[in-house]
Amino acid sequence: MLTADELDRYGRQIMLRGFGEEGQEKLKKARVVIAGGGGLGSPVAIYLAAAGVGMIRIIDHDRVELSNLNRQILHWDEDIGRRKIDSASEKLKKLNWKIEVEAIEETIAVANVSHLVGDFDLIVDAMDNLPTRYLLNKAAIEKNIPFFHGAVYGFEGRTMTVIPGKTACIKCVYHGASTPGGKFPVIGATPAIIGCIQAMEVIKYIVGIGELITDRLLTFDGFNMKFAEFKVKKDPNCEDCGHLGGK
Amino acid sequence: MASVKINIPSYMRSSVNDSKEVKVSGNTVGECFNDLIAQFPDTKKHLFNKNGGLYEYIIISVNGESAYPEQLDKKVKKGDELGVVMIIGGG
Repeated sequence: MLTADELDRYGRQIMLRGFGEEGQEKLKKARVVIAGGGGLGSPVAIYLAAAGVGMIRIIDHDRVELSNLNRQILHWDEDIGRRKIDSASEKLKKLNWKIEVEAIEETIAVANVSHLVGDFDLIVDAMDNLPTRYLLNKAAIEKNIPFFHGAVYGFEGRTMTVIPGKTACIKCVYHGASTPGGKFPVIGATPAIIGCIQAMEVIKYIVGIGELITDRLLTFDGFNMKFAEFKVKKDPNCEDCGHLGGK
Repeated sequence: MASVKINIPSYMRSSVNDSKEVKVSGNTVGECFNDLIAQFPDTKKHLFNKNGGLYEYIIISVNGESAYPEQLDKKVKKGDELGVVMIIGGG
């Protein structure tokens, strides 16, 4: 049951066709884990908190650095040197005190990924490297948890939603490919755009409305301001999800 | 030989005189990319590693669909559009 305060706070989205108080109740009950509290994690967390997702767990092992501030908008000058999870959870609670925010300072690895994400309803990929994305993808499939992928580089972004057993996973698309590591170039607006798309996907999934970015990789070229789609199929030989069958 | 269009991603355009697309000929994806390299040799560095293999972080599309698993061996026909998508990992 929504309170009068919640009906007021979320009134503009409750007005949306297919959303209503029922949709808001679903958001209130939802538990979303955001893996990464940086460039992508910031906009994802901000918009999910503002929308009233009831429980957000944010995982990050880094501390805020000056070089983060061009894009990681949850972190400000005054936060330099602080743990990102502390900076993030403080801002999110200030934005919306009605929700619960849990901050976990851990490095996501084979040994702990299942424990970190296993009891959540949805997993958002806001990582800065492909190997950890593959860990999260695999855990999502094993636990049957929808997975919301995003990645950025420079002016470019990629995003896709994975419904385990039903749609292509990121291993079906990337086949375990790696990319050069280290510092990468990026303008802050790129993760803002991709992160907001991920947040939109999460909200639509929870509420049960709209069409998801499934079986297609959405590519964003901010330099030429173009979105494109790349159709993908669930790979029956995929090492992560091939055993689940499906289309 | 089929006449095919390759859509050039932003990061490769400096190698093709800033063109957004290049017309090539070939019966397979590999033949089309060989023709692209024949026309614009500088494109090779974006696509193939020192051993001549396609970079693992490149996905090729044919008419908006992944060319995997055939990749370079995938047949093409007149009017097809090829795309190059780079896998990225930042966040």
